[in-house]
Amino acid sequence: MKHFLRALTQFFTFLYCKFLWRTLKFVTRKLTGRCELQRICHNHKPGAKRTFKIEHSLKSSKNEVLQSAVAASPDAVERIVDEILDLKKISPDVNLQLGISLQASLFQIVGYRGLVAEVEKLRREPYDCENTDHEDMLLRLWKSLSPEVPLTGRISKQWSDIGFQGSDPKTDFRGMGLLGLHNLLYFAEHDKATALQVLHDSQQPKHSKMSKADWEKNSFDKAIGFSFAIVGINITELVYSLLVSGALKTHVYNVAPEMPSLVHFQQTFCYLMQEFHKFWIDENPCDIMEFNRIREKFLRGVTKQLKNPNMALCPHSPASDLHLINL
Amino acid sequence: MAAAVGINKQGAAMESGTRYGRGTAGNTVKVLECGVCEDVFSLQGDKVPRLLLCGHTVCHDCLTRLPLHGRAVRCPFDRQVTELGDSGVWGLKKNFALLELLERLQNGASNQSGIAEDALTEMGERIIRCDEDESHTASMYCTVCATHLCAECSLLTHSTRTLAKHRRVPLEDKPHERTLCLHHQVHAIEFVCLEDACLPGPLMCCVCKEYGKHQGHKHAVLEAEANQIRASILDMAHCIRTFTEEVAEYSRKLAGIVQQIEGGEQVVEDSIGLSHTEHLCHHRSLRVVVSCQVPGTAESARSCVRAYFAELHETLCRQEEMALSVVDAHVRERLIWLRQQQEDMTILLSQVSTACLHCEKTLQQDDCRVVLSKQEINRLLETLQKQQQQFTELADHVQLDAGIPVTFTKDNRVHIGPKMEIRVVTLGLDGAGKTTILFKLKHDEFMQPIPTIGFNVETVEYKNLKFTIWDVGGKHKLRPLWKHYYLNTQAVVFVIDSCHRDRLMESHSELAKLLTEKELRDALLLIFANKQDVAGAVSVEEMTELLSLHKLCCGRSWHIQGCDARSGVGLHEGLDWLSRQLVAAGVLDVA
Repeated sequence: MKHFLRALTQFFTFLYCKFLWRTLKFVTRKLTGRCELQRICHNHKPGAKRTFKIEHSLKSSKNEVLQSAVAASPDAVERIVDEILDLKKISPDVNLQLGISLQASLFQIVGYRGLVAEVEKLRREPYDCENTDHEDMLLRLWKSLSPEVPLTGRISKQWSDIGFQGSDPKTDFRGMGLLGLHNLLYFAEHDKATALQVLHDSQQPKHSKMSKADWEKNSFDKAIGFSFAIVGINITELVYSLLVSGALKTHVYNVAPEMPSLVHFQQTFCYLMQEFHKFWIDENPCDIMEFNRIREKFLRGVTKQLKNPNMALCPHSPASDLHLINL
Repeated sequence: MAAAVGINKQGAAMESGTRYGRGTAGNTVKVLECGVCEDVFSLQGDKVPRLLLCGHTVCHDCLTRLPLHGRAVRCPFDRQVTELGDSGVWGLKKNFALLELLERLQNGASNQSGIAEDALTEMGERIIRCDEDESHTASMYCTVCATHLCAECSLLTHSTRTLAKHRRVPLEDKPHERTLCLHHQVHAIEFVCLEDACLPGPLMCCVCKEYGKHQGHKHAVLEAEANQIRASILDMAHCIRTFTEEVAEYSRKLAGIVQQIEGGEQVVEDSIGLSHTEHLCHHRSLRVVVSCQVPGTAESARSCVRAYFAELHETLCRQEEMALSVVDAHVRERLIWLRQQQEDMTILLSQVSTACLHCEKTLQQDDCRVVLSKQEINRLLETLQKQQQQFTELADHVQLDAGIPVTFTKDNRVHIGPKMEIRVVTLGLDGAGKTTILFKLKHDEFMQPIPTIGFNVETVEYKNLKFTIWDVGGKHKLRPLWKHYYLNTQAVVFVIDSCHRDRLMESHSELAKLLTEKELRDALLLIFANKQDVAGAVSVEEMTELLSLHKLCCGRSWHIQGCDARSGVGLHEGLDWLSRQLVAAGVLDVA
């Protein structure tokens, strides 16, 4: 009985998608005299909600031009917008607003795909000791996080002071590649104050609740707060998975007026790093072994926030000079 | 010449005497033969007479051939049973009376025959007979006539003037006879050839030396050479004496060891009693010799085995009891739950039938009442639906299966359920590939992981085992926290990065630290030599050598497995090993 009901529901959903929805669309179009894209742009303010609808509308369109629009390259966007207007027999002069809105949304959609590709490329690039750019970035990271103490050597125990696992940070970049390094460096250079605060707290867990003596006494059992660098890499992975799964679209569509770029990704990282730090202190874990539990909880919270199309992971940090489009 | 003949005659006479003597001895000895094989008993060796419990005597050889009835033999004459000790037939007492008799008889025989045998030796020379008269004993030797004479006959035969000049010496001073050369009959042998080629016939006379076949050969004087050989024989005799002593000592020791193995009574002197007064001395005499039963090593070994198996038996009994109690508890719980369900179902049935009844009753009522009871009916229907939903959910989840699948672990614990759960903790340095291995096992896909902070835990099902794998971060600062994961861990998987030679020593020290942990004393140790696919990786054999694993893991069950988390090669072999170690033999195949 239950299975039958489920099958029936599926069948009706299918039927709706296949025919009813189209019929409905057709009828509405005839009644209002405006096509679906027009209606969407007219009814919604710029932002994630509008972009989502446009994306959905384009993807499920029968027309090949419309279908391929979401996968177009950024350079072709303006031409495609003209083509769409032409196809729908809408005069660009009359509906000036439509053209602009459609173009902005299309830029967001296309840009998001580009961003995913860009991030993926960075992630796949392994850290290379021979590459001077990579080495230079690593040394810059040390300088920004630990300006007073000079590094004794490229391979040094000091790396674990800023939260790498061993004496050579290279091994820690295995999963996230250069993306991890880029993010950490961006955080350390663009939001230095927060980064240093997080680093400071990570070196002295529960600084607020524990005197120095207590901390030293318990340091062996309680071990370590969290390790700045590898937590950074973990959070990078978190943001990356959000990006790839598409959950981050809400945020990106809300914060980027047109093409989203790597900067948006990095700012999201800075924000989440800061949020995670707060979350960690609030959760008050007894040792680092609870990291995964807390990370899961944090991820659930963030995912839940991103379900709301009006939501953006609002970066109030100095690193962000962005202004929200519609909030 | 005549003397030589005389001696030969004497020898022949003696020989016949011996034969006769032996013959008589043989007749007597004939009585002393084994009743089974009819061979004469001997003082030692296979034919030693041994006593049976019934008093019969059988030779050792025949005893060994008798069929064993458990640890006993039957007398071949009257079928009485004689128990054998640990040393079997060797433990039976020799028949000493018979042996003594035998010895005496043999000695008598050899006394008679001994003269004949020794006639040619110096002992025989002492009783050399007079050549003139057989009944006289010679005391002199005429160097000219070369005859043995007694004093009487000497005077008698050498009474003439010519003969009286013959030099006669006492028998002791009789000069050695000169042997004549084989080739030159008139010359006595005076020299010995020293050439190697002449070793078979070194003797030579002066003619041989000067003109014969030994001409120009190196030579020595016969007497000197003989004396030299005599000296060496003396030396040898000395050596033989020490050798005999050694052999005797050794056999004494053997006897001692046999004694020690067999055990038995040992006499212990009471030394305290010696200083006591007369009165006490009387008392002492009762106590002075305390014989006590000293257990032999055989007995102690046997008791050791007995104790071990008794303990094993006890442990097995205990384990069986425990396993049975586990099964009992399971059955009890299961039955309780089933009964509870039964009860619930009865209640549900009654509720449903009440509702039915209520509906029926309502049906028969008039319109007004039916309308009035609408709300009530609705509520009833709702509860009914809810109950139905609950029931279907329950029925979906619960599999009605009377089977109780039982599995045994190696330590004889019983496990009930389709899958046996095993707790495994994965440890190793950072970057060794612990998380990668875990994910490869879980999802069969390779992913380049990010550094593990804290731990990951996954359950991996393999064959009929369910591994709960705890993957703990390898960061240096996290290592002190590993110990929180040791509890109840049946196996440790230690992952080593094979292509990082310079970190092997760090791995080694961490592993050595792990092995000293008390909680991990009984845990299995599986070492994964990861990243075998990378060129220049340390091979499994080399790794075993480098980490001196045989020494390090001595006394525990361990295994090193080369693997490659990227392709998954070797991972399942490792799990196979773990399951073989954990599950009692044969169970895996059943699943």
